[in-house]
Amino acid sequence: MSAQQEFHYRLSRRVGGHRPGAHAGTSLGTGLEFAAHVSLFDRPDPRRLDVRASLRSNRDEWLVRVSRQRAGIALHALVDVSASMSFGAPRSKLHIAADFVEALGFSAFRMGDLFGMLAFDSEERTDLYAPARLSRGASSVAAEKLRTLETTRAGVAGLEQVAARVARQGLVFLVSDFHFPLPQLTLALDFLAHADVVPIVIWDAAETEPPTRNAIAPLEDVESGSRRTLWLRPSLRARWRSAVEMRRAEIEGYFGARSIRPFFVEDGRFDADAMSRYFFEVV
Amino acid sequence: MSNIEFAHSWVLLLLPLALLPLLRGRKDTLAYSSLFWLPRDRAGQLAAAFGKAFAVTAMASIIVALAGPGRPESQVLRTGQGAEIMVLMDRSRSMDLRMMPSDWRTIDPIIRTQQAWHRGPQKSKTARDLLSQFIAERSDDRFSLMFFSGGPLLAVPFTQRDVVLQAGITAAGIGVGLNETNVGRALLTAIEAFDDRPYSGSRIILLVSDGGAHLNARTRNRIAAGLARNRIALYWLYLRSINSPALDIEDPRTEIAPEIALHRFFQTLRTPYRAYQAEVEEDLARAVADVGKQQNLPLDYVEHIPRRDYAPYFLGVAAFSCFMLLVYRVLQLRSWT
Repeated sequence: MSAQQEFHYRLSRRVGGHRPGAHAGTSLGTGLEFAAHVSLFDRPDPRRLDVRASLRSNRDEWLVRVSRQRAGIALHALVDVSASMSFGAPRSKLHIAADFVEALGFSAFRMGDLFGMLAFDSEERTDLYAPARLSRGASSVAAEKLRTLETTRAGVAGLEQVAARVARQGLVFLVSDFHFPLPQLTLALDFLAHADVVPIVIWDAAETEPPTRNAIAPLEDVESGSRRTLWLRPSLRARWRSAVEMRRAEIEGYFGARSIRPFFVEDGRFDADAMSRYFFEVV
Repeated sequence: MSNIEFAHSWVLLLLPLALLPLLRGRKDTLAYSSLFWLPRDRAGQLAAAFGKAFAVTAMASIIVALAGPGRPESQVLRTGQGAEIMVLMDRSRSMDLRMMPSDWRTIDPIIRTQQAWHRGPQKSKTARDLLSQFIAERSDDRFSLMFFSGGPLLAVPFTQRDVVLQAGITAAGIGVGLNETNVGRALLTAIEAFDDRPYSGSRIILLVSDGGAHLNARTRNRIAAGLARNRIALYWLYLRSINSPALDIEDPRTEIAPEIALHRFFQTLRTPYRAYQAEVEEDLARAVADVGKQQNLPLDYVEHIPRRDYAPYFLGVAAFSCFMLLVYRVLQLRSWT
């Protein structure tokens, strides 16, 4: 394994929660961010007494400064482990997802946030469940489980179950290749309305770029088992690429309607710097 | 072409095996994550259909070929001009000797014998050449070929196939002759060959021989009766060599010579008989041509058409299909990398 990848993330809105952390929070407490003046009787903390404000006050009372406390959040990776994720050459998409999970866990630990992972295919995969916690090694264990996973089941029906379980404030990464009808996402995204959702779209180079050789390619869908034979030739390659672009536009359009920008991983490896840039641009 | 029979029809029970390529095997496909976003390709679907069709065709035609299809043996009634000619050819050793040279009358009698041993063509060779030419010219006649020396040997039964007859005649030139000439037995066998054949045209036994034999009374009676019964005309091409008597000598003392005795007996027959005495090659040619002129009557006969095997066609189709499968295999994409 190469050097540990790390990216920087931030949230677009204030989060609740009393666990101190690095993100702008809604709860009051120790912090540098001024929130309001309140009466000493309401908040009996003489250390925060603001003499100037008290003198200026019309009601002749002692005022205490109250500031907001920065909050720690939980990061969840919802990983699609349906059969289509096992596709990819030379490394499967599941391996790339594992790389991402590992980087995510490391980054979360560095930020003092909790990391958790839930996996799903046609139902929730409890055997891959990693509860949200502050741990340096949790993500490595979770990533290793993904790398050695034998996926056979089709479908993404389990997404709604896992989405319901993380339906609170925080950052949720939806890791999938999104090879399913996008309306299947609607209910899950509704569950996740309070969270910041980042779709990580993992596509393998073999999917997006047709083989260069002119050949007959008998293909079988790993999930549905249906078959189609393609005669690879220049005109078909053009149609292939345009189909990929259409799908990309479709995904961007679908998430765009919810003000979410998907993050594409297409060149066979997860790039943490690109992920950092994504958060700078989006948030 | 209408009716086809199978030599081993039980093999056809294996025909359902030809549907095996239609089953969904996993080996020849590439796994892909999700087909629904790829374009539909009519040419690719066509190629896949052809691939399966060739696989099914290859297996089916191999199975059909193994079952041994063929047109069964049949009989066809044909009408031709000419005769049924049984060529009864002497293969005794004397036939390997030379014919007399064409200028033998001018040669000094003292050296004539020696000349006759070394000059001139071989009798059997000349006879064979002429017969083969005769058969080749008379394509409407039906010929049968029988050799004899000590005993008769049927080489070719009645047929019109020139190729077979020529091959039979060629076969007569292999090896050396035997040292007996049993004309009686050979004639009886030749007559018997006509026995169970319907009378469909004039019949000839063409005896090609250079010597005769004394026949006993019983044999003579049987030959005479047989020729009469089967209405066969007898033509004798007598290849006269040196020291053999001429047939037309009137002297009664020459009865002792077997050739003369045979000739005399043949002359007593009630059925037509002609003798052609050939001393030199040209005589023989003339005699053969004369026989050709004699018989030109309509002739009905049944021809057996042998079984025709269709298996090679099916194997050809199978080979072609296999070749196309090979092409398909070469064109096929077998891995993503």
